[in-house]
Amino acid sequence: MLSQIIVSPSPHTSQDLTTRRVMADVIIGLVPAMLASAVFFRVRAVLVIGVCVVVCLVSEWVCHRLRRRPNLLGDLSAVVTGIILALSLPPAVPLSVAVIGSVFAIVIVKMLFGGLGNNVFNPAMAARAFLTASFGAAMTTWTVPATLDAAMPKVQASNVEAVTQATPLAWSKMALKGQAKAEQVQSQLKAAFWGQVGGCIGETSAAALLLGGLYLLVRRTIAYHIPLAVLLSAGIFAAVGWLLKPDVFVRPDFHLFGGGLMLGAFFIATDPVTAPLSVRGKWIFGAGVGLLIMLIRTAGEYPEGVMYAVLIMNAFTPLIDRLCHTAPVGGKPRV
Amino acid sequence: MNFTVKKTFKGGIHPLENKHYTESCPIEPVPTPRQLVLPLVQHIGAPCKPLVQKKQAVTLGEPLGRSDAYVSAPIHSPVNGAVKDITLASHPVIGRTMAVYLEANAEDNLPQRPQPERFGEEFDPGSFTPEQICNAIQEAGLVGMGGAGFPTRVKVEPNPAMPKHTLVINGCECEPYITCDYRIMLEWTWQILAGVRLAARAAGCQTVRIGIEDNKPEAVKAFEQALSRCRREEDIQVVVVKTKYPQGGERQLIRAVLGKQVPTGGIPPQIGVCVLNVATCAAIAEAVVFRKPLTHRVVTVTGRAIARPGNYYVPIGMSVQDLLAHCGGLTERAAKVVLGGPMMGFAIADMSTPLTKTCGALTVLTREDVTEPQYVRQQTACIRCGRCLMVCPEGLNPTRIAHAVKHFRMDLAEQYYLSACIECGSCSYVCPAHIELSGYIKTGKLLKAREKKRLG
Repeated sequence: MLSQIIVSPSPHTSQDLTTRRVMADVIIGLVPAMLASAVFFRVRAVLVIGVCVVVCLVSEWVCHRLRRRPNLLGDLSAVVTGIILALSLPPAVPLSVAVIGSVFAIVIVKMLFGGLGNNVFNPAMAARAFLTASFGAAMTTWTVPATLDAAMPKVQASNVEAVTQATPLAWSKMALKGQAKAEQVQSQLKAAFWGQVGGCIGETSAAALLLGGLYLLVRRTIAYHIPLAVLLSAGIFAAVGWLLKPDVFVRPDFHLFGGGLMLGAFFIATDPVTAPLSVRGKWIFGAGVGLLIMLIRTAGEYPEGVMYAVLIMNAFTPLIDRLCHTAPVGGKPRV
Repeated sequence: MNFTVKKTFKGGIHPLENKHYTESCPIEPVPTPRQLVLPLVQHIGAPCKPLVQKKQAVTLGEPLGRSDAYVSAPIHSPVNGAVKDITLASHPVIGRTMAVYLEANAEDNLPQRPQPERFGEEFDPGSFTPEQICNAIQEAGLVGMGGAGFPTRVKVEPNPAMPKHTLVINGCECEPYITCDYRIMLEWTWQILAGVRLAARAAGCQTVRIGIEDNKPEAVKAFEQALSRCRREEDIQVVVVKTKYPQGGERQLIRAVLGKQVPTGGIPPQIGVCVLNVATCAAIAEAVVFRKPLTHRVVTVTGRAIARPGNYYVPIGMSVQDLLAHCGGLTERAAKVVLGGPMMGFAIADMSTPLTKTCGALTVLTREDVTEPQYVRQQTACIRCGRCLMVCPEGLNPTRIAHAVKHFRMDLAEQYYLSACIECGSCSYVCPAHIELSGYIKTGKLLKAREKKRLG
């Protein structure tokens, strides 16, 4: 009987929480967005998500084999990367492009840097940036949701297989450039909230993303600091612009519910590996992401800025960590 | 609804309390075991030198070892018997140490019983001078009985360099499972109060605060009733604090009860505070009034894998196997035997390890209690979630310290305040990757001490 007795340093018990459980919670949090995408973009969405997840898992398995490391697919982090990458791709994306993106995310961005916990950039966002640079046309072809054909202007030549239309943010960009009226754009707010607009597979339905984000907050899978900081800084920026020039700037709620901001705030910027450790660092990181999103949306050439905002702040994370030393009780932080 | 803010500190965790196994078990004496082992180090400070020789007869309460150093505490015999040997023995905290092996006489060793009924509301600490109290505390070999084992005289005695004004009594018992302090607070209320008043008199403190967690309303009631009947000059009050681990850490308790912060890496006397555990106070009362040395203490034997859990009045030096046998032995499912509670206790493999002055509990955990990842000890990569930073009661960065230690970067570890860690284990408890953060930090402290020794 004594042979079963083990010794180890204290503590001798732990919370019933594992990395696998954390990742599983993120997947559960993404379920509403995935369901919404299946409603709006039908089989195409399911297909892209499936391809991305499978290719991510296979790439990770191959990398573990090559590194002769124990197989860690069970931690589900590759599944999360696959889903987030898929949700941030346009529905009409060719499957070959999705495959290339998934391999890039896992092999180049994650495993070459040392695997889970060591990557500097968010794998899904870095892969998406790579795809945007490599397959510009495929990455900006926005299919009209299957449930609706709204009267949005066409800005892109339709490719052979899909009917396309402008995303709400592309339209708001036109307003900024004086090619459309801000009020006209705002009429799409309700559609953008529920998701009946053009856009990436998983970003269109702000309602579904909010639901999933709330689940993560309630489960305490993510801390509230980063999402709140993103929403606040983007919201304040948008509100200032709207108050100053309401005829060209769309309302702040349109900015919050349009595009990938909800997906970014709750699921991408909160990726723990590429965000700062300390609470103060998380506030700074989130505020930076929100600010950069709005800068790109309003002053930049792209209509949407979540991807680059997150990547830029990822690059700042080590610096933020260095500047935001925690203050020990009864002392001052050492800089 | 009551919206008052509960007194507490920042950070911390809420592990399952599991106090139901033993909280209603009255303190019971145990039969004197035949053999006892008394390690010559049961405290922080200089080890004792043996005062007895092999085959020498000893009586109950006779000193077995002492040291001339100021920071030390003598060790006494808990039985009438003879010295069998003086040699190495397993020690729960420091591995192996010199110890006195005693064989108890078969006849004149009736089980010792606590005598709390000898204290009551008429007790007057004024009949003892502060010097008398300090000397009695030293002679009785008292050490902090909450776990650290710092010699009590050194804590209590007035120090002109750091004058003390407030005495904080620790009745939190924030560790899961353990109920020894809870039981003595209920059963020995007057004795503890006598010890508290003696300690306050010795230390020259006029203000006394007794901190008790809000999951022990019975103990709060017992003290409030006693205080309402007790005539006194000192200002003694019970302070109810939030139930949270590690509320009973002295730095956390001071923060909760007084709202003050002890400087990083500093000690409470720097801000004029002295913290004593309730069990230590009870021992002070016995030591000063009856000149009774510290030879017995209350130990909670608990856990799902123990047949007969309870709170026992145990002679110090009794081996773990004897105590387990008295409690019906281990069940099949036992996976870990821990001296102390599951958060800060020491897992032991050698069941002949003796119980020491600082050991308040013997917790026997099953594999389910330990949790599967903790049992297989598989550590995965840090995902930088920052949970350890959120729960650290000292506001440290456990993951950074642990990683610095892992790569033997002691300079970096110290930059992250390695030595300010109180080793509460909250970081390891919450880590989703099950990294033994607290284990790495403890290793780092050992490495640092070794390096310091090497450099002279």
